[in-house]
Order: sequence, then C-alpha cells, then structure tokens
Amino acid sequence: MSETAPTVVELDQVVKHYRQGAVDVPALRGLALRVSRGEFTAICGPSGSGKTTALNLIGALDRPTSGRVLLEGRDLGRLSRRALSQLRRDRVGFVFQAYNLIPVLTAYENAEIVMALQGVPAATRRQQVMTLLAEVGLTGLEHRRPDQLSGGQQQRVAIARAIAAGPAVVLADEPTANVDSETADRLLSLMEQLNRERGVTFLFSTHDPRVMERARRVVRFVDGRVDDDRSKS
Amino acid sequence: MTLSALSVMAWRNLWRNRRRTVITMVSIALATMLAILMSGMQDASWREVIDTAARMGGGHVTLQHPEHLDKPTLSRTIAGAEAKAARALHEPGVRRVVTRIVGQTLLSTAHDTFGAGFVAYDPTAEDESTLSLLEALSAGRPFTRPDEGGILLGARLAKNLGLTPGRKVVYTMTGKGGEIVTGLARVTGLVATGSPSVDLGLCLLPIDAVRKTLGYGPEEATQVALFLHDNRDAAAVARTLGAALGDDAVALTWRQAQPELDSFIAMKRSGALIFELLILLLCAAGIFNTLFVSVIERLREFGILIAVGFPPARLFGLVMLESAWLSLLGLTAGALLVAGPYAYLNRVGLDLTQLAGGEQNMDIAGVGMSMILKISVYPESAAAIAAAVITATLLAGLYPAWRAGRVEPVESIKLV
Repeated sequence: MSETAPTVVELDQVVKHYRQGAVDVPALRGLALRVSRGEFTAICGPSGSGKTTALNLIGALDRPTSGRVLLEGRDLGRLSRRALSQLRRDRVGFVFQAYNLIPVLTAYENAEIVMALQGVPAATRRQQVMTLLAEVGLTGLEHRRPDQLSGGQQQRVAIARAIAAGPAVVLADEPTANVDSETADRLLSLMEQLNRERGVTFLFSTHDPRVMERARRVVRFVDGRVDDDRSKS
Repeated sequence: MTLSALSVMAWRNLWRNRRRTVITMVSIALATMLAILMSGMQDASWREVIDTAARMGGGHVTLQHPEHLDKPTLSRTIAGAEAKAARALHEPGVRRVVTRIVGQTLLSTAHDTFGAGFVAYDPTAEDESTLSLLEALSAGRPFTRPDEGGILLGARLAKNLGLTPGRKVVYTMTGKGGEIVTGLARVTGLVATGSPSVDLGLCLLPIDAVRKTLGYGPEEATQVALFLHDNRDAAAVARTLGAALGDDAVALTWRQAQPELDSFIAMKRSGALIFELLILLLCAAGIFNTLFVSVIERLREFGILIAVGFPPARLFGLVMLESAWLSLLGLTAGALLVAGPYAYLNRVGLDLTQLAGGEQNMDIAGVGMSMILKISVYPESAAAIAAAVITATLLAGLYPAWRAGRVEPVESIKLV
C-alpha cells in the first residue's frame, strides 16, 4: 500500500466496555489502528480479543466508551443516529459470516438494496448491479432468491451488495467461515480482484489462515489491543 | 426505496409463513363476515321496525299541532292539513303523504266497554304501504269510503268486546270543544298483527265519519304523516318543512314522535356495537400476535437492514405495510366469504317462526315485526366496518412496527 494513501479508518485510544449483568467487561483497552484506502487487511486474534467490537465500532453499529473512531475523518461519536444510518448506507459495506441476505429479495434486489435506499435512479441501478453481478460471477442467477443459491453464491451476492454503493470500506466478518475451501479460495480471489481493480478497501475479521495468507496486512489483537501489525511487501 | 418496492417487500414477507398469514387472514375475514351479517341484520331489522312503526304511527315525519306531542287531545288540530300535505309531497325523498285523526276512544257494546287508541284514515288515500294494520286484516273487509260508518277492530279487542264483523259498536270521544261525542259504527273487519299491544288496544275508523262526529272542518286533522323512501332522511325533511310551516303546526321526525322507540333502538344498537367492538378487539389481538411474532423472528434481519442503512422509520413503515396488506387480504376474504350467506339472507331470509312457537310476528317496542329475518346492510355501515377493520389492523401493527424500528443491529446481528 502506498504511504500516501489517505486514511479511511482511524481508531484513536478506543476503549469499549460491555455490561454483563453486574460485571463490567472490557472489550477494547485503548485500541489504536489506522487503515488506508485500498488496503486488504485482516484482523486476527483469539476469541474475545476485540475483533468484532472493533468492526462494530468502525461500521457505526456501536459507540465507544471512550476514544475516537473516525471514518474518512468524521468522528462517529459526534454523529446523530440518523447521520450514522446514512453513513452506514453510503460509506460502509458489510459482509457477514452467515451471508445475511434478505430472504424475500432476489439476488438482484439484494445487491441493489443500498443503491435503492440512496435513491439512485432505477436505470442506473440496473446497469451497475448487472455489471457487478457479472463481475462476481452470478450472471443468470439474478432472479434467484437466497434459498435457491449455494453458500458461495450467497456470499458473492453479499459482496456485491457490500460494494454496490461504492463504500469507503468493506467490513468482512469471517467471510469464508461457512464455505468449503474451494469456495473460500474463489471468494478471496474475487475480493482481491475487487480490491485491485476497483480499489475497494477490505477489512477482515478472521480466524482463517487462508485469509491471513492472502491479506497484505495482518493485524493481531490480544486483549483489546494491537499486539502485532505486519504488512507484506 | 420507493413505496411500491417497500410494498412488494411487505407482501413477500407476509407469505414467508403462509399458514400463519392464512390463519390471521381467515380470522379477519370471519370477523368481517360476522360484523357485516350483524350490521346487516341490525340495519334491516331497525329499518323494518322504523318503517313499520311509521306505518303504524305517524309516518317518518309527522306534522301536527305544536302542543299535540305533550297533550295529545283531539282539540289540537291542524286546520289546513290537506294543503300542508300537498306542500309536503313536493319535498325530495317524500314518497307518500296522508292526513289522519289520531286519538283515544271508548268502545262500548251492550255488555262491555274498553278503551282503545284509534286512527281515522282516508281509505281512498291509504293502503298497506302507509297503514300496516291494513295488511293484518284477518276477517271482514277494509273501508271503501272515508264517510262510511264502519270500524276495523284489533282481533283481541273485538274478542274482549264480544264483537264480530257486522255487529255494531258505539265509540265515544272528547270533541274539539271538550264535549263528549259519540258515534255508531258497524264492525267492518278485524286486524290481527300478532302484537298484543296493537291487537288489544287499537281500532281504525274512516276519517270523514270521525270528522263529522268531532265537528271538524273538511280539511281538519290532527296529523299529516309523511312516508319517506329512506328513514334516514327524516331529520332533513323535518328541518325543511319545519321552516316552511306556520305557527299552527310543527314537523317531528319519528325519533321525536316516538322517543321510546328511538331509545330502544339506540340501546340495542349500543349493545350490538359493544359486541362488534369485542369481535374487533379479538381480531386485533390475533393480528398483533401474528405481527409481533413475525417481527421477533426477524430481528436479525432488521438488524441487517439497519446495518446497510435502512432508516428505522422505513422499517416501521415496512411492518405497517405488512399490517395493511393483512387487513386488505382479510377484508377481501371476508367480502368473498360473506357474499353467499348475505345474498341468501337478503333475498330469502331466515324463518324464525318455529323458534317463536309458530308466531308469525314478534313484538318489538310495540311494533309487530315479521318472523322472517332478512338482512340488508347500509353502504355506510359496510364502509364503517371496513374502516374499523383497517384501523384495528393498523393499530395492532403499531407496536410490532415500532419494535422493528428500535432494533439495535449490534445486538441482533452478532457479528461473530
């Protein structure tokens, strides 16, 4: 990654505590992390190390107990609920472990939903979504509903949905956890291709060695802090 | 995302659990059917009661002396009754107008004396459509001339007096100036309505014969009875006529002229309304349950939608649209379900004669009613039912919809 690429994500001394009954559980303990545009980065670490919490905060799904989370320079802690909703819609893409497509929508409709929410005209939407679905290898499957698609195909739809609106960052949570090795390789190749050709910034949370192997930067979390941060040449 | 796209999504969501949707739809349909049948029964029954009461009494609108309602004596008359009747006939919605003398009399034979109400009418101007007693003629014949010396007696009254057609009876009244006047009449026929209060306490007389007995002028009467195409127009007609009448007459609706009947109908309608509201409440509880369970089952999905930027207000709208679809489906199914029974009960009706031990009529607030139960719903009643079902369904959807919009994505998605 170029040294001059602008910062997309910045976590500045982020602390996050959860309440579990009467117990205060620290999830992040002063986390500091920067992700630049175009990165293909994996966050790894043992369970409970704070990977998910970090993704939730970056994705504007949760707020830190203290510290700052910035997305493209905007402090998420200062934004209203409505502004956060718009920010998620316009600047963040999500790929979940369990695909999490909307079951009543077709592959095409799932992929276009964010653009539809943005109010992009139908003709433009159609053109862009069809191109994208072709790019992720789903031509001919546009009208199928999620239950008519394989796990790998569903995850491709999820990837299409995540990048359709041109987000600043795609947060992918264990995207290969529910698919076989061959499908996982194909999905990773697809995301690499999108990263390379479209410049999409990917930030993975993963336990999968294959993801860590293909990532150009691997950040290891331990006890809510960055324990190791390595970039590959 | 457009409303139509959201509607399509809501429609599809509804069919994710077909069985649950169908059960809810059927419950709305059954509630609609029940409400339509109940309202149809009530609308038809009360229309029949009001129309029959109008034909037994003073019409849907009555013109009479201003003090006649409080002090109904034969001295309180309308002088130009026939002219007022002719004027009233030109009012929109008025079907027939007749003049009558209505009061109390004492009927005497050599053996017995009984008090009774009487209606003196013009047989050349009236028939069964204005005077219901004429259709209950059980013996003898109706009058043919307004000046003939006949009398039609309630069947039980005749029995008590020991009279049969052809026999004579003396009627005694208090005349216009307060003097006692009498007339002699031959029993022309008997009427048997099935209503004890009528058959025991009423008789009919020819109007000109009574005018002569009472010393009235040729156009004088105590009552001008107006019959309308639709009893619901009574207030409007009375208002218009009331403004046009002089000081010697007032226009009263059937509600004002027969307040006990109005109160009875209002009381019965209130009871039925409470029952219908209970049905609606049960129906709404079912809809609430369906929508709430469906929302709880989809919390994760709502979390995803919020995560990708679906505004909470739109999620609220999505669930409300599901609720609206449910109500429309239920209403449509209800309309289809009720069409057959409604058509049958509207045309043929339900014969309750056997249930009433063979009686052909029943007495409702002093009005003899047919034992063939027919239904006919007013358009506004049907519209009110539809509006109530839609409102109840939408209200039942409010909390589930609010709950959907309040989903915390971080809690519901559980990224890891």
